[in-house]
Amino acid sequence: MEPLTLWQNLLRDTERKTTWAQALAKRDAVIRSLLEFHPDGACAPPHSEGAFQGIPFVVDSRIAAEGFRLTCSSRMLADFVSPYSATAVLRLQNAGAQVVATGNADAFGMGASTENAATSVTRNPWNNDCVAGGASGGAAAAVASGLVPFALAADTGGALRQPASLCGCLGLRPTYGAVSRHGLAAHASSMDTIGVLARDIATLRRVYECIAGPDERDPTTASPTPLASSAQRVGVLDDLSDLSAPVAQNYRDTVAALRDLGIETRPIALPLLPHAVATYYVIAAAEASTSLARYTGVSYGFRQPDTATPEEMIRQTRSLGFNDENKLRILLGTHALRAENYPRYIARATQARAAIRQGMAALFDNVDVDLILTPTYPTQAFPLGTDAPHSIERKHADRYTILPSLAGLPAASFPTGTANDLPLGLQLIAPPFGEARLFDALGRILGDAPCPLPPTMTALGGQP
Amino acid sequence: MKYQSFIGLEIHIHLLTQTKAFCACPNQYGAPPNTHVCPICLGYPGTLPAANAEAMRMSYLLARALNCELAATCTFDRKNYFYPDMAKSYQLTQFFAPVGRNGWFDISLGSETKRIRIHDVHYEEDAGKMIHAGKHSLVDYNRAGASLLEIVTEPDLSSGEEAEAYVREFRRLVRHLGVCDGNMEEGSLRCDANISINLPGKGLGTKTEVKNINSARFVRRAIAYEINRQAAAKDNGETIVQETRLWDADKGITLPMRTKEDAHDYRYFPDPDLPPFSPDDAFLADLETRLCELPLQRKQRYERDFSIPADTADFLAEDQQLAQLFDDCVALGAPPKVAANWLAGTVQAQLKRTERRVADSHISPQRLAQAIALVEKGRLSASRAKEVVELIILEDRDPEEIMTAHGWEQTSNAGEIDAWIAQVLADNEKVVSDIRGGNPKGIAFLMGQVMKRAQGRADARLVKEKLEQALTGQ
Repeated sequence: MEPLTLWQNLLRDTERKTTWAQALAKRDAVIRSLLEFHPDGACAPPHSEGAFQGIPFVVDSRIAAEGFRLTCSSRMLADFVSPYSATAVLRLQNAGAQVVATGNADAFGMGASTENAATSVTRNPWNNDCVAGGASGGAAAAVASGLVPFALAADTGGALRQPASLCGCLGLRPTYGAVSRHGLAAHASSMDTIGVLARDIATLRRVYECIAGPDERDPTTASPTPLASSAQRVGVLDDLSDLSAPVAQNYRDTVAALRDLGIETRPIALPLLPHAVATYYVIAAAEASTSLARYTGVSYGFRQPDTATPEEMIRQTRSLGFNDENKLRILLGTHALRAENYPRYIARATQARAAIRQGMAALFDNVDVDLILTPTYPTQAFPLGTDAPHSIERKHADRYTILPSLAGLPAASFPTGTANDLPLGLQLIAPPFGEARLFDALGRILGDAPCPLPPTMTALGGQP
Repeated sequence: MKYQSFIGLEIHIHLLTQTKAFCACPNQYGAPPNTHVCPICLGYPGTLPAANAEAMRMSYLLARALNCELAATCTFDRKNYFYPDMAKSYQLTQFFAPVGRNGWFDISLGSETKRIRIHDVHYEEDAGKMIHAGKHSLVDYNRAGASLLEIVTEPDLSSGEEAEAYVREFRRLVRHLGVCDGNMEEGSLRCDANISINLPGKGLGTKTEVKNINSARFVRRAIAYEINRQAAAKDNGETIVQETRLWDADKGITLPMRTKEDAHDYRYFPDPDLPPFSPDDAFLADLETRLCELPLQRKQRYERDFSIPADTADFLAEDQQLAQLFDDCVALGAPPKVAANWLAGTVQAQLKRTERRVADSHISPQRLAQAIALVEKGRLSASRAKEVVELIILEDRDPEEIMTAHGWEQTSNAGEIDAWIAQVLADNEKVVSDIRGGNPKGIAFLMGQVMKRAQGRADARLVKEKLEQALTGQ
């Protein structure tokens, strides 16, 4: 039986639903993955009967769901109730699914640990002293803990893939343009996507297929051109020197496992990998500095009261509404966009991005690989509340998730076992609109079974 | 003139699109505050703009009419600045690749034609409106996100008069193309002027920008004032400061608003949410069919081909519906000068009196041509024709039908006219004898009496002829 069907059985009557809700609340009190939880949804019940009838899901705090607070895990939007739903959310609701909670994250999607959230820090469900990852750490921790069957989360430079890897679940970032961004609070519009977190391939695939497709509310959506789904050849990395020992070993083991499955592996080198992080942060910070400029307190969101002038109100509202990481990125982006700096930063980053895009395309076209296997993150989950790794090191650690983001490619992080009682995860990258190929390969690697739950967690009254 | 003046204009027009620039809100003015708003034009988190196809068509059409090089791909860019009336804290505009560049537009200066170069035509969204009420500031976002087009000229104008002529000619153009209503007082056409002066041969001087000019007449006055102000300053050995100045229409002066030091770095940046727009062949072909004869060309044709006086030609060319009516009427055989006089006189007066436009009246080229033909054939008197023409504006009836229904057709029945004359002569023996005695003064009086008896139905020429015969022939 498919996991989603098991969930439908699990929640088929009020009594069972109450049991689930109570168990969920108890478990979440420890990991603090959710910001707002309404077992019956926050507004009207789902619109129609459909394939997802009665299935609860979580949305990242950056994704709009009517009736829920679209907080972006920030002080700025702490009380902002969304008057509308994201297209991806609507499509799931139309198929019968129901938003029950919002997932905690680093404010406005900026961070790698969900420690930069306004109200609470999310803990890793495998080891509560470690981070869940981020930015979308809440949604990943909730799914990895089996609180809900799936979540929609934002991914800009790895926001859902990295926590999926650190918490031990599947995380799909779709091709840029495959899923509408309408309803996703912007961080860096040219790389923002809405992706899916789940514990099994069938669910991941069904949710993706439900939310994908052109949307007139997002002019950057596109119609996918069909791409052969089968993966014969996978590009693999030779140089693993920048990875932690468990991740490097796990990578080698996984390459061997691919060969055992009859998949050919070919050595590749990722294009401009040493420049990816600088390229990403210039572009993302530049876009964020203007996308976040709308938070002024004028017509919605937090507002610092009793200021002398409208200009002073905007200044103080922004000063108090954003956290340090937000301000750092806004300042960086503002600096990079200044007319005199534009050629030095934006123009060069744009060039580098084009080269990365071409370099990635060349791997698929010239080296003739169907997919590329990389680490998701160079390390496993790191301890909470410490300065290590340092903020700059954390940004550098985003390099593997950043490459597909810059190139607009679909990529999925998938669990590949554990080491030191913490999950391990790797990333598969496909050409544009190659999601079906990812599902196909993941199905062969992982089988039908859901990812293992953290050992401390027992199944919630019969869920997979 | 000691100094040479250089004037460039930046004109903003509100496009007559149904919806705003990037959302589905109505693109209308005058509604209660904040009623034409949605999450997109309020800049709510997660909302995305979508380009307006109608606005793109209008933008390319105007750029084409201004002889611009049309962008094969135009971009939408963010212009960043904080102000409470700007919901997203950036304005979507076109900085890197506007709709059109390097165009020109001819204006008429008396008997001369002057070519003004167009720097660029770019599309952008409007801001909301701030209202300061005591200690509070209020914002109305109805106008936020409305579709605007900005047309920037090169500094080719050299006086307030020329600038006024440009604005008037430009306004006719946008009205003709149907892309803007051209109303300056309501702000659907706004004009800023960049003005500099210098000694002849020295090139451009330091410019000031004058804003808040809301009529064509004020364009002339504000620029004239500013030229004089700058000349006086230079004569006094002062340096002209690059600054933005505000036109105060009540005082008839310009006042400093901000200097260049306050200038923003707008941090222009291609909007990642809006893909560039690339018109296809069908789009471009469609533009050609929408281009019409431009007002100035039309005016010049009326003068050249029909010898219509300049002011009448100008008047006809101003209103596209009127001009079309005129052209069609002439095509149906009406003498051009006669048709022009009817349109500029009776038709215009009646339209104005009844607050109609050609489109919402019942006049048609066929009807006007028929009325003119009835006069030419002597079936309708000039005075009755005026009444008929007034009625074809109000009533859905042909002139001939109106004439018949009112019994206004002139008679050419000789017997009937003879009878009226005989009666009048009999009633005015004294006058008749005076005339016959050699004093012709009374003839006009007798004419009037006959016409009165005929109640306007008699052909005056025939009456005159017969009356003279009756007076002399006996």
